Amino acid sequence: MAIGCAIAMVSQSNPLYSAISLIGVFISLASIYVTLAAPFIAAVQVIVYAGAIMVLVIFVIMLLNVEHSEPRRKRLKFLVPMAIGMAAILLAETVFILHSVQTTENRLPGNISDVGLTHSIGEGLFTRYLLPFELTSVLLLMAIVGAMSLARRTSTLSATARVVPGAQVLAMDIANPSGVQDLRPVETETTEEAAHLLGVDFQSDRSKQA
Amino acid sequence: MAWDNQYIHALVLIIAITVAFLTIMLLVAATVLAERRVLALIQGRLGPNRVGFGGVLQPFADFIKTMMKEDLVPDQSTRFVFLLAPMIAVITAIMAIIVYPFGPTITLPFLGTFPLRIAQFDVALLYVLGVTSVGVYGIALAGWSSNNKYSLMGGLRSSAQMISYELALGLSLIGVILLCGTLDIYRIVEQQSGWYGLHWNIIYQPLGFILYLIAAIAETNRVPFDLPEAETELVAGFHTEYSSIKFLLFFNAEYINMITVSMLATTLFLGGWNGPGVAQFPLLGVFYFFAKIVFFLFLYIWLRGTLPRFRFDQLMDFGWKFLLPAAILNIVLTATFLYLFT
Repeated sequence: MAIGCAIAMVSQSNPLYSAISLIGVFISLASIYVTLAAPFIAAVQVIVYAGAIMVLVIFVIMLLNVEHSEPRRKRLKFLVPMAIGMAAILLAETVFILHSVQTTENRLPGNISDVGLTHSIGEGLFTRYLLPFELTSVLLLMAIVGAMSLARRTSTLSATARVVPGAQVLAMDIANPSGVQDLRPVETETTEEAAHLLGVDFQSDRSKQA
Repeated sequence: MAWDNQYIHALVLIIAITVAFLTIMLLVAATVLAERRVLALIQGRLGPNRVGFGGVLQPFADFIKTMMKEDLVPDQSTRFVFLLAPMIAVITAIMAIIVYPFGPTITLPFLGTFPLRIAQFDVALLYVLGVTSVGVYGIALAGWSSNNKYSLMGGLRSSAQMISYELALGLSLIGVILLCGTLDIYRIVEQQSGWYGLHWNIIYQPLGFILYLIAAIAETNRVPFDLPEAETELVAGFHTEYSSIKFLLFFNAEYINMITVSMLATTLFLGGWNGPGVAQFPLLGVFYFFAKIVFFLFLYIWLRGTLPRFRFDQLMDFGWKFLLPAAILNIVLTATFLYLFT
């Protein structure tokens, strides 16, 4: 079921279906954890991934409502052989792990049913593995800060640029950012002013439309 | 005893699940009727009192009537998701029931002893939270797949609301977890027995209890937090396009959610099946358990009859700027007291 959901997730064209399939993957993964005697990890998996993160993803998909996305141009064609190579490495690793598990003798510490319980996980996390645990949280903090800074840096316009909504459309359509050397932010109060700065005959454009 | 035999064990489990399911369904019917009668009482009306004695058969009559209706699927809807959504809603609602102990371990003549619960495992509390969090999808997907702008608004509102209040809900329970030192609901109930009710967690966690109650009402989309289905603005919100049995599933899911949330409040804060005389007559515990649930259900209906609805920005402000900091404060206070006095 996990594999079926995973294939469905990659192959679906509708992003919402992909998201639903991903939820299926997470829930099947949680059931695998349960069969491996790790109920705590399973519950956390469902709460964090299926319950919190995917709700946000679906929320965003619903808000944007991208239903009919046109087939994308093959922009990143050079990545295809790389992906195949990566998949081959991953497959080799899986085979190696399966092989080594079968050849080495079983040497799990202590009682096997104890490992997945809340108590032992908490104890391990806050004593023996405290440093990796804290480092992971720092990593997450870095991710948040990075996302914030990326979101702040929007287009070629600086954050202080005051552009009326109509003028922004003008700038994107007509000024052609890739063709123009001088990419100064446009700072105007009105659409007419922006049109004048960009060297566009705004009035005649509007009369043509009308 | 022969309970070690796995087939007999499985049979007992199936019987237990069936009994629990039927009990919950009857409780849903009773709650629907009670809601209509009590609301009528609050608003100075009579309410449904004709079908059966005092109207007891009204929910069943309504059930049959709704079943007979035509099952519509909107032309432009996303069919698969449209069918999937009510199932997710009702299945996740029912799944949470299995961890609650309905009573203490009882001894029956000729049958031996068995506990009045379906499953006991280490992370029962996390399981409940996880199942509840998956339940959001039922409403969100229903709103999206109906291809109706009111439904979409309802779905969006509900996902935003449930994400915001789930945090406060989870954090308000951490105080109890700190006190009891376990996530196992059965053990939490057992720890609250004795001392004439002075061991109930509500006495040590009054702030946590109030926060949980508020967050739980928001989590079940009930008045005054019923913005996803605010009928005066959104027709019926996320289930506008649903008819017949699919509407019934949503309707059931809402009431089952009310019941499970009440069960959680009962087990975590009000001592579950504990009460006077339980030590001598264990079956009394079942009565106490359901009595406490009925109290919470009455509270729900009472609030619905007396409170107006929040505005959406008020709802968000309340969730993030009051409920969440208060829940964190509760955790800090509990941890400090535990550190100082134990």
